[in-house]
Amino acid sequence: MRKQFKNTVMDLAADDDNIVMILGDVSVYLFGEFKEKYPDRFYNMGICENTLISVGAGLSSQGFSPFVHTIAPFVTERSYEQIKLDMCYNQFGGNIASCGASFDYAWDGATHHSYTDLAILRLLPGMEVIQPGSNKEVDVLIRSQYDNGNATYFRLSDHPHNIDVPDIEFGKAAVLQDRDSNLTVMTAGPILGNVLEACKELDVNLVYFHTIKPIDAETIASFKHTNILVIHDAFGLYEAVCEVPELSVSFHGMPDRFCDRYGTLPGTRKEIGLDVESLHKTIQKKLDGVCCGLSG
Amino acid sequence: MIPNCKDIRKSILSISRESGHGHIPTCFSVVEILYAVYSTIRHDPENPSWDERDIFILSKGHASLAHYTVMAHFGYFDMQSVYSYGSFASDFGCHADRLKVPGIEASTGSLGHGIGLAVGMALAFKIRKNSRRVYALIGDGESNEGSVWEATMVATNLKLNNLTIIYDNNMSHSRGLQIHNPAERFKAFGCKVTEADGHDLIGLTSEISKNGDMVKAIVAHTKKGYGCQTLIDNQYQWHRKSPTESEFEKLIGELDEKAI
Repeated sequence: MRKQFKNTVMDLAADDDNIVMILGDVSVYLFGEFKEKYPDRFYNMGICENTLISVGAGLSSQGFSPFVHTIAPFVTERSYEQIKLDMCYNQFGGNIASCGASFDYAWDGATHHSYTDLAILRLLPGMEVIQPGSNKEVDVLIRSQYDNGNATYFRLSDHPHNIDVPDIEFGKAAVLQDRDSNLTVMTAGPILGNVLEACKELDVNLVYFHTIKPIDAETIASFKHTNILVIHDAFGLYEAVCEVPELSVSFHGMPDRFCDRYGTLPGTRKEIGLDVESLHKTIQKKLDGVCCGLSG
Repeated sequence: MIPNCKDIRKSILSISRESGHGHIPTCFSVVEILYAVYSTIRHDPENPSWDERDIFILSKGHASLAHYTVMAHFGYFDMQSVYSYGSFASDFGCHADRLKVPGIEASTGSLGHGIGLAVGMALAFKIRKNSRRVYALIGDGESNEGSVWEATMVATNLKLNNLTIIYDNNMSHSRGLQIHNPAERFKAFGCKVTEADGHDLIGLTSEISKNGDMVKAIVAHTKKGYGCQTLIDNQYQWHRKSPTESEFEKLIGELDEKAI
């Protein structure tokens, strides 16, 4: 997904002199081509996330479209106030493209995990929050949002799903399964790969989001006659869905504890019940409950 | 104290008495600095968004009342409008909002944000090969924030010789985390450093007008409450206090007694 990010930005920069790359000492080799071609618009500023955001806001104030790119927990949780005040309150928007969330850096442990970023950023007025799940979504959504003057968060993953989501449009959910079921699964981002695999033989509806804010309340509301199960490897989507009135919603995903093991992304997903097998059991159990009138 | 700066201090006292708000001692420490900045930079109060203007950011945003009164003095808006300071309906908040007040370049308040924004703006002018300059006024207490030094490092690494940092050394830092010898610190971070009497308008104006080939840091030595001995002697009590009628008369008298 980072390679797609680079390719899309390179393509846009060919026609747009206002694109400036600000790296926090990540993806430096990947963006070597950009540096070579546009040396006065490429800055590896170092490991100083607060300042990366403030500088991005300052560039934005003078008409540039900056991309601040570094590791998710550090650029969001550590720099939350800079995003809130310098970008959102001042209306000096810009693009923040993170990597590593939620558990892409599983082997690095809990310090490098990031699963609150979507939830906290969606609370900021004027913020756009995007969790692309595939390379195609990265390309379409960056092109549509990068220069609109808003503060926009792109949460990039090194583990995209390979599902061809139809009609990708900012702020619009995609209904991937509509089986007239009493249970609707809602999910977002790369975990769709596991969720779709777990759902495909089950009699459930499936709604997919790449945009967390603004949330597609209209599509959510169209399933309010069903029980909704949000499955997500982060906070943020569940809370956004719950804001739509008159729903019956439950959540399967993040536990209220640190995931303090190491290893690989699949290992961490399995630990918290987000591997295909666990998801299948969870959804089947929910479906059984719904059918027996136990859920609600 | 030249008459203009005395008048500005009187306006600060008067607006604070009227509104019930104001960080008067910290405002009084920066009056000459603000006056010198607006006497030096390229700006047009008739056209605050002039696209060739220099940029000034008040990073120590709680000195907003001094900022407003100096800007009013230079013609950005009528002084009378500032008397609504801090009220619900006012555009002149206790921390300035750039979207409400013409000529305010950045909404500040939370400390440690102004330099980072200034670095981004100065970099923007460098990329555009534009001669515009950026000035950021920061406090010594504010400089307890790590983001101040982070941004300073980035500025010097980028060789932003179109950026001037003015450090109001009014000894606020002495209450808590002390910053000994700030000039040496800025020098160590790669800035071209000068020190100045922060109440010497002529000297400050001269320093602010000088540019070089490095990020410039001016350590301005000031006194909180400068101009009123009562404020200098009772800084803690007056940190956020606005004067009563009798206190107002006393402070005005102290200003009038000051011969400089």
